[in-house]
Amino acid sequence: MTTATAPEPTKRELTVVKNAVCTFCGCVCDDIELHADDVRIVETKRACILGEAWFKNHTAERHYPDALIDGKEATYDDAVEVAADILHGANMPLVYGLSNTTCEAQREAVWLAELVGGVIDSHTSL
Amino acid sequence: MTCTLGEVKNRADFIIYWGGNPAECHPRHFTRYALTPKGKFLPRGRKDRTMVLVDIRETMSAKAADIFLQVRPGKDFEMLTILRALVKNQKVSAEACAETGLTLEQLQDLVNRMKAAKFGVLFFGMGLSMTRGKHMNSAAALTLATELNAFTKFVAMLMRGHGNVTGADVVMRYTLSYPFGISMTRGYPRFNPGEYSTIDLLVRGDNDATIVIGADPGATMPKPAIEHLRRTPTIVLDPKVTHTSRLSRVHFTTAPAGISAPGTAYRMDEVPLPLRPALKSPYLTDEDVLKKIVAAVQRRPGWYPKPHAGAPVA
Repeated sequence: MTTATAPEPTKRELTVVKNAVCTFCGCVCDDIELHADDVRIVETKRACILGEAWFKNHTAERHYPDALIDGKEATYDDAVEVAADILHGANMPLVYGLSNTTCEAQREAVWLAELVGGVIDSHTSL
Repeated sequence: MTCTLGEVKNRADFIIYWGGNPAECHPRHFTRYALTPKGKFLPRGRKDRTMVLVDIRETMSAKAADIFLQVRPGKDFEMLTILRALVKNQKVSAEACAETGLTLEQLQDLVNRMKAAKFGVLFFGMGLSMTRGKHMNSAAALTLATELNAFTKFVAMLMRGHGNVTGADVVMRYTLSYPFGISMTRGYPRFNPGEYSTIDLLVRGDNDATIVIGADPGATMPKPAIEHLRRTPTIVLDPKVTHTSRLSRVHFTTAPAGISAPGTAYRMDEVPLPLRPALKSPYLTDEDVLKKIVAAVQRRPGWYPKPHAGAPVA
């Protein structure tokens, strides 16, 4: 994207992931072929325009700090303690979202909702 | 009554899309699952299928349709009810039909085609389930599909928007026995959409903390809901710093599912698929962060005098 467009692609070995799964929309197409270097996906065979944008929009670069507490940079562990205090102290915490994540994370979220005695809801209710 | 998209591909000769725009929102739905692929019993692919689009405006998807029916906005429930009456050979007045923006002939033709189909599918989207009538519309659509089974095979399927929203339904169903909008405040699951659904909770200001996982309500929800998120402590897990992150107490950057986080996602027909991430993220996954939060909460005294032995049985 920045400099030297010509020699760059041949220099790097691209990893190819066959039958990759696109989780942008509910179609969850599982026949995508991804070509990726270390930080970004450069080619998305068989993906639609939405899928292509989804894959190319997320890189393995570090754009943000691990966590933020009140807008200030923090470590995961400090943020976890603050989050646990908030959820533990609340009378009726809400666990919401869950659409753009994995089923394994969703199960943890269910367990968290039960543990803190909260409400759990997804995009389905919108 | 529903089925997998594989059955649709191999069997469905009559397809209705209602209140959805797959050409722009699910671009590969036509070509991969529903419309153009050649199936076992539909050797000529698109030529063996009939597609009807019902929507309030002529979207891009109308170009792919054999029949486009433009329903008057907010009259989906009326149209569905008329169709159900016609399926049962009840008399319907022309005035009642006119209210939907369509004629009796158009609706009778649709019913005849539905009955004549070998395998019909009704795909319905947010244009039906999220407009005036909401879950009553969804119920009417599902009932119509069910009643058509007195004549032929007919199924209904919701066109799910976000990647793994179906997975959220499935996981909550098998752990808490309901698909969404569940309160655990008494220690056991209670289901009541309208009371425990997010927008209603936030607009009324019922909840006193929120943890948002892979969503951005700060950009999409009505203003009173966003104000409540700002007023009360909010925690966000997201691959990017979002609008919601900016009004939150705590933000966690996590690896995006399917791109650098492994796991499982459910397709809209409830077929689970293992993700094959292509990148290695410098961030933890949602699962890792939630596990850490769960462990931290477990180190604090329980809110309810009930021993927690371990994670709920999968």
